Amino acid sequence: MNWNEVIGSSALVPLFSSGVALAVPTATAAVGECFSERAGNLNLGVEGMMLSGAFAGFIGTYYTHSVAVGVLCGIGAGVLLGILMAGLSVWLKTEQVINGIALVLFAQGLTAFVYGKLFSTSSTPTISTPANLHIPLLADIPVIGPVLFKQNSLFYIAVAAMLGVIFVLYRTRFGLSVRATGEDPAAADAAAISVDRVRWIALLVGGATAGLGGAVLVVGQLGIIQTNVTAGAGWIAVALVIFGRWNPVYVILGAFLFGTTDALQLRIQAASGGVTSGFPYEFFQALPYLVTLAVMVAVAIGARRTAQPAALGAPFRKEVAG
Amino acid sequence: MPSICSKCLCICGLGLALVMAGCGSSSSSSSSASSGASASSTTSSSSGPLSVGLVLPCPTNDLSWCQQGYQAAQTLQQQGLIKFHYLANAPQDTASASQIMERYAKAGDKLVIGHSSWQDAAFAAGKAIPGTDFAYGGGGQTATNVATYNEPIYQAGYLAGIIAAGISKKGKIGGIAGPDVPLCHAELAAFDAGAKSVDPSIQTTNTYDGDWNDITKGKQATLAQASQGADVFLACGGGPASGMVQAIKQENLSGFGYVADMSSLAPKNVVGSIIYNLVPYFTAMVHDVDSGTYRPGKAYTFGLAQNGVYLKLNPSYAVTKIPASSTAAMEKALAAVKAGKLTVPNIGS
Repeated sequence: MNWNEVIGSSALVPLFSSGVALAVPTATAAVGECFSERAGNLNLGVEGMMLSGAFAGFIGTYYTHSVAVGVLCGIGAGVLLGILMAGLSVWLKTEQVINGIALVLFAQGLTAFVYGKLFSTSSTPTISTPANLHIPLLADIPVIGPVLFKQNSLFYIAVAAMLGVIFVLYRTRFGLSVRATGEDPAAADAAAISVDRVRWIALLVGGATAGLGGAVLVVGQLGIIQTNVTAGAGWIAVALVIFGRWNPVYVILGAFLFGTTDALQLRIQAASGGVTSGFPYEFFQALPYLVTLAVMVAVAIGARRTAQPAALGAPFRKEVAG
Repeated sequence: MPSICSKCLCICGLGLALVMAGCGSSSSSSSSASSGASASSTTSSSSGPLSVGLVLPCPTNDLSWCQQGYQAAQTLQQQGLIKFHYLANAPQDTASASQIMERYAKAGDKLVIGHSSWQDAAFAAGKAIPGTDFAYGGGGQTATNVATYNEPIYQAGYLAGIIAAGISKKGKIGGIAGPDVPLCHAELAAFDAGAKSVDPSIQTTNTYDGDWNDITKGKQATLAQASQGADVFLACGGGPASGMVQAIKQENLSGFGYVADMSSLAPKNVVGSIIYNLVPYFTAMVHDVDSGTYRPGKAYTFGLAQNGVYLKLNPSYAVTKIPASSTAAMEKALAAVKAGKLTVPNIGS
């Protein structure tokens, strides 16, 4: 097998370009989920929010021929589901794991229903994805330039959203409140922070970014919709938050590791002759998961303490005086 | 704090979610007869259309597997041969599929078709309701009242390979599929064999990405092969095929559609599509039920010779000009298969 075809210098740019493209939708959702979980919300509905964002984004762009409208629709769908999730988890304080799974089922059913009603007898609808931009000067840097600075506009919107969330989490007072409510809501409450209000907002942010991730996937990359188009990306986002030890920067790196390994295994399959090489192709499919799992275990062994927010998944009930 | 019991609300919420999930997977009957009413008796072909139930594992507009089944049933209905009810997005597990098939049989459908590889479900339903005839797709075993139909897609893959060898500029062609099942393995192997029959030096590469529904994976797999020199592609499976078409549209390469006419997705880049025509299958089954010769259940297979599968070229294809010699070689091979002189290799694994 010609390894040069896979990791030679001319193959690196398409490899990393693919890896980054595969990673961005999941990374966007994962950073938002990290924000939600730092506030103490265990939001397992990310897959449902991404799927709704993907469908809403597609329908928005299909009818208005505007990528911007599609993106806004995607974010809006994510926010609506975020409201539903927050209503259940923060207002009614019901079991968060069940809420998340129910939300995913709901979103899967609703998107399939709406899609069938809107497009049932006509041929499969498609939209055109935005063209790649070419950022002057930066795009000419060898290797990194074509990978990072020749993507389409939605890529940069997603990156800006991720950086915005990280900035808010670590550099604003609100971000401090978020981290406090996740670690010790009673102390935050004593410091006059409204725990429920912070958790509400954190879930809306999580929903918005998940919806954005779904919209980026469909409007920015695929241009076509099918039932379950996100194919489990939301679940991977939830896992990436744990992998990144609830630090959004590591979450993004984890998403990139996963995406690049996925792109790599496809290239190895193509170069090695795939099934004819005698190597089970199922191993290639498992590779991204194995690599991510191995890194996570290695990091966890080396870590001194658990990184999980102490109040994750536990609803906060104010103690009534007297 | 709300005074309503929060647990009750949670249960209601979960129930609502399940109802929505159920709504998303069911669809209305397409015929005017409600599925509750008993169908008119059709013991011979002269008395009215046959009442048929059709179960689809995917949506009717997936531009692929399910759309072909749905459209074939619609064609037969327009011809007055059948009146059919259908369920799209049906759950794929054996228990649910057999329940749905039994439901149609109990409601009066004389022939119930499960359009997926539902051998166990069809057998269970056939045992439960011995008076109704069942059929399932994909090939396998048959029973007294259970038939199967198996599409030799690989035959059309061979023809696609002949054309691919003529239009490939870099001398490398690629195949992308989901899991490595015999149907897809044979299709991609025949694609390679057809290309090699014209140009023995052509290079081939096949990737199995393991997921029928993942369009992104299919697109990335195609881009991976393209970065290594392949420029004509064939896919197997809805997700891989849609992904492949998006990739060839982006990179301006060439490819063949799968099961249905995919040229509308990328009019300039789709060379043609392998069409899986269910009309002869359903017509044969309906005829057999009407004439009482359905049992014991047969394995229906209609290939190139009977128009069960065919390669439909796309007149808008514009990446490069298809050489006249390629079209001639393809026509020659097609005629040879129809005359029984050429047997396309069927390599399932």
